[in-house]
Amino acid sequence: MISFRTRLFKSNPRLYSALAAKAYARNIQYRGSHLLHNFASAVFGYLYACIWIGLGRDHSLGEYGILGMMQYITFTQASLWISSFTTPGLGIPQSVRTGQIALDLMRPVHLFAHLAAKEWGQIGYQFLYKSIPVYVIMLLALGLTPAHHGTTLPIALVALAGSAYLSICIGYLIGVSALWTTESSWLHWGNQALMNLLAGFFIPLQWLPEWLQAIAWASPYPFMLYAPTQLYLRKEHPIVLLGTLAWCAALTLTCLLATRMLRHKVEVQGG
Amino acid sequence: MNTYIKLYLLLVRTSIRSRMQYRFNFAFGTILAAFIQLSEFLMIAIVLAKFGAVRGWSVHEVGYLFAVMTLSKMLYRTFADEVHHLERYLVEGELDQLLTKPLPVLLSLMPRGFRLMPGELLQGGGILAWALGAMLAGGQVTWWAVPQTLFAVLTGAVVLFAIGLATATCGFWTTRISMLQNMTEDAAQTAARYPLTLYPGWMSGLLLTALPVGLVNYVPALYILRGELGAWVFPLLAAAACLAVLLALRFWKFGISKYQSTGS
Repeated sequence: MISFRTRLFKSNPRLYSALAAKAYARNIQYRGSHLLHNFASAVFGYLYACIWIGLGRDHSLGEYGILGMMQYITFTQASLWISSFTTPGLGIPQSVRTGQIALDLMRPVHLFAHLAAKEWGQIGYQFLYKSIPVYVIMLLALGLTPAHHGTTLPIALVALAGSAYLSICIGYLIGVSALWTTESSWLHWGNQALMNLLAGFFIPLQWLPEWLQAIAWASPYPFMLYAPTQLYLRKEHPIVLLGTLAWCAALTLTCLLATRMLRHKVEVQGG
Repeated sequence: MNTYIKLYLLLVRTSIRSRMQYRFNFAFGTILAAFIQLSEFLMIAIVLAKFGAVRGWSVHEVGYLFAVMTLSKMLYRTFADEVHHLERYLVEGELDQLLTKPLPVLLSLMPRGFRLMPGELLQGGGILAWALGAMLAGGQVTWWAVPQTLFAVLTGAVVLFAIGLATATCGFWTTRISMLQNMTEDAAQTAARYPLTLYPGWMSGLLLTALPVGLVNYVPALYILRGELGAWVFPLLAAAACLAVLLALRFWKFGISKYQSTGS
């Protein structure tokens, strides 16, 4: 089953790019409203930066210092739109409730690839119209320049592309769980909480207690925010991308297996 | 008035019964809500464990700030969750149905989403017991701190409701309010989990006046935990909560008179 579906992945590159383009185009209709939304996101980032600035007045902030922590928060806050704020459950829970899931499974395209392609369009849009504006607003508000004059941005963006894919896979698995639970929004919020805690969104992972660091590194979360941020701040060797790659492979396999189970479980609700 | 209260309680019972149709979701949601709250407190606790006191506030004092905010928010969202979700009613035109009912709109809106939040209650109550317990044992506070804290939680819930209602009312003009809620509710409540002295003067001033989340936990904590200010804090909190909710209700009344349906 998996090998057959894998062939379907290869045979539809134009379809996938069309799905991504449509998702991007759908979002761009609301870009004015979304640009305003960025202000709220930047307020949150500014708030977190203020907390570190306040703490830095009384304490040494270790290898980062106040400036480093401001850079850290600026990058993580902007990256959230790529690695965290994806469509809850990739829209599967709604499909389950409306019965649309049965039609989606009948399409001559693998469900995971279909939804992932659409989400890539969404993430591409969010990168251009949310991450970049939030990054620029925060740089201006905090009086910063890009870390290392922006020379580390390309490698950090490669890491963020990997984190976007990891986010899609996790979102898909959360969505698939709706087949058993009907309601998976709590799992989505649980995932957001883990992102905040284990991905190093607010606190660099080396400052977590050792037991929590061990839990974090046994999960994909550090590769979704912490690793890209460390690459951006030039505090990590690019070899860390191997970890991202390994998690991408492991989660892809899990998603394919989950789809197989989903096909046996699916039932149409409502009339 | 008596009829309204009876009707309100009936609607609340109906709302609870409808939620209990999905017992697994309720139990699962409760456990995860407690986990999410715990993870949020863990982030603060880790910062405190790493750096010690925050601007002179100990881990127990910051835990107290977090717990009072959690419990006040729990009370507000238990009774008025649908006020927070007014955008859905405005976008989908559902508010039109409520306007046709022979009841004040708020009275028919609020019980619809009556939400039991045991996860937040357990977690907020647990952290409050831990923080107050340690301060009682250390002699920093007396048992008087318990009723005083309960009073602060109640007035705090009213203040949060007033902020939520005023924010939701803006939706009568803008329809979409989630961005505004991100700033006036989510960001402001997150900020008030730390001592306000951590922030620049303009921000702490804002959090004590225009968006008075500082009245929920920070101002009562100054007196209850640190003996600053004076006992006049409690009448001040009560007056501020009454004033905030009265202003919010007047704004709501004015806003609803300007409502235009968005449906077709």
